[in-house]
Amino acid sequence: MDFLKLLDRFTERRTRTVAQNASRRGFLTGVSKLLVAGAFALPVLPFDRTNSAHAAGGHGAAKKKAEPTETDCDYWRYCSVDGFLCSCCGGTMTTCPPGSTPSAVSWVGTCHNPADGRDYLVSYNDCCGKTACGRCFCNTNIRERPGYRMGVHNDINWCMANQSSHYHCTVSVIVGLEEGQS
Amino acid sequence: MEKIKKRPWLLALPLSVAATLAFAGPDKPEPLPEEEIKVEHLTPPDGNRLYVTDFVFNHMADGRVHVVDGRAARYLGMVMSGFGALTTVSPDGKAIYLATTYYPRLYRGQRSDVVEIHDSETLELKAEIDIPAKRAQAVAYRSMLVPSSDGRFLYVQNATPATSVTIVDLHSRKFVGEVQTPGCWSIQAWEKGHRFSTICGDGTMLTVTLDDAGQAVSRERSARFFDPDKDPIYVHPEMIGEDRYFVSYYGNLYKVSLSGDKPAFTAPWTLLEAKDRTQGWRPGGMQVTAMHRASGTLFVNMHEQGYEGSHKNPSKEIWAFDVASRKRVARIPSNAAVSLAASQSDAPLLYSLNPEKGEIVIRQIAKGYPKVSTMSGIGETSVIMEVR
Repeated sequence: MDFLKLLDRFTERRTRTVAQNASRRGFLTGVSKLLVAGAFALPVLPFDRTNSAHAAGGHGAAKKKAEPTETDCDYWRYCSVDGFLCSCCGGTMTTCPPGSTPSAVSWVGTCHNPADGRDYLVSYNDCCGKTACGRCFCNTNIRERPGYRMGVHNDINWCMANQSSHYHCTVSVIVGLEEGQS
Repeated sequence: MEKIKKRPWLLALPLSVAATLAFAGPDKPEPLPEEEIKVEHLTPPDGNRLYVTDFVFNHMADGRVHVVDGRAARYLGMVMSGFGALTTVSPDGKAIYLATTYYPRLYRGQRSDVVEIHDSETLELKAEIDIPAKRAQAVAYRSMLVPSSDGRFLYVQNATPATSVTIVDLHSRKFVGEVQTPGCWSIQAWEKGHRFSTICGDGTMLTVTLDDAGQAVSRERSARFFDPDKDPIYVHPEMIGEDRYFVSYYGNLYKVSLSGDKPAFTAPWTLLEAKDRTQGWRPGGMQVTAMHRASGTLFVNMHEQGYEGSHKNPSKEIWAFDVASRKRVARIPSNAAVSLAASQSDAPLLYSLNPEKGEIVIRQIAKGYPKVSTMSGIGETSVIMEVR
């Protein structure tokens, strides 16, 4: 239970505060020391991304004429997402679909918002407690690293600390600005 | 219906007419014998028995391990593996091990984690062992669930996300202990003794030695052998005897000898030539390498125009290296594979798995790497293979 309390301390409100007051590296290191990696959604799939869009830098991005929206993989804040977008599953970028539960732990990416030129820290929380949504699968691995850097690892289920660890979908929540941004 | 009930012979009329026409002559064959249902029993693994882990991403509660005859390119059967299971096969090929998670009401209730032992010939469950409900719900990389070389213990990677390793005694079939491994990930079992090493976020290895009861008696931290910031290594190991090989995101090969008192590290060498670097060739995928041990040939899953974040991309080519001379000896076309496996039998085979198609291309490990066959429809989200 102590550990869960610890996790709670680091979700949402706390995460926001810490992220705003520390560099990204400092933030992740601090989080790692408490063994609460930031982060995100399930199994990371190694699929053929040439068929799917990517965010962040447009690596292999799908050909799109219109500006990407929150249901497109190449929308800016999905730069390190890996899983099913909750925006396609009955939720939004920041809300879980009805009846699902936000993950207690998550991992963090750093994404560039072309609209204001700033880099943001984005927490990729999973929504848990139902089986996989199966819609809008997106997979980018920018700055993703193996599990010895757990805070930026996504070959693992970030619903792992929830009462029901079933993975449903992933939200992408802004938790602060990257270091040096204003 | 009333009319038909009264005249049931009307229903049989068309059939009898047809039968009469077909078998009017004197050569009417004997009737087929009566049959009974039996259950297949597999022959012992022959070195090309493939075990393909499929976590069925669209509905993860019912993962499975597909069992395939790689030489005959024939599907043999399946073991169910629950939610996001870790999987492996015993060194002698007789047992399939899983570490998985169940809920009593599919998605709700008290979580229970178990190790399961399945017989590799009957594909039936032989044993279930309760373990702490903290095993890593992770991609089933080779280093996540690992038996000791003598088959006595099974090591299970945990993540809550705090990391530790659960120790299971396979003889008594009981959970016997847990070893904390903070900041470290993966299980690299030693050939000798009950000892494993794990790769840590500061670029060192932590080596844990167990006593005969499975309790940790020593924990030793090595010197730094790689830089996780500049050249992160994949945790998938290749093994020749006591030597372990790890490839890095940027195409360097690290050799670690798990022998003697502590790990011994060899300076890494690059898999890339200047031209390869210009074209941005990099390793990529999930099970990024395979090793044919007798010839010392390392296969690496390679893509070009690599970028930050491309380290899990499927391959355009599979490169073969002679480990002793450190020379590339072949460039083999790939089926956009993410995972590789090599058999060690006579007339060995190279397997490359494309998870989107559930396709396994099978090639001879011989000059020119001729394609033997292609299997498709092997699962929905198959990402990891083992061969025995």
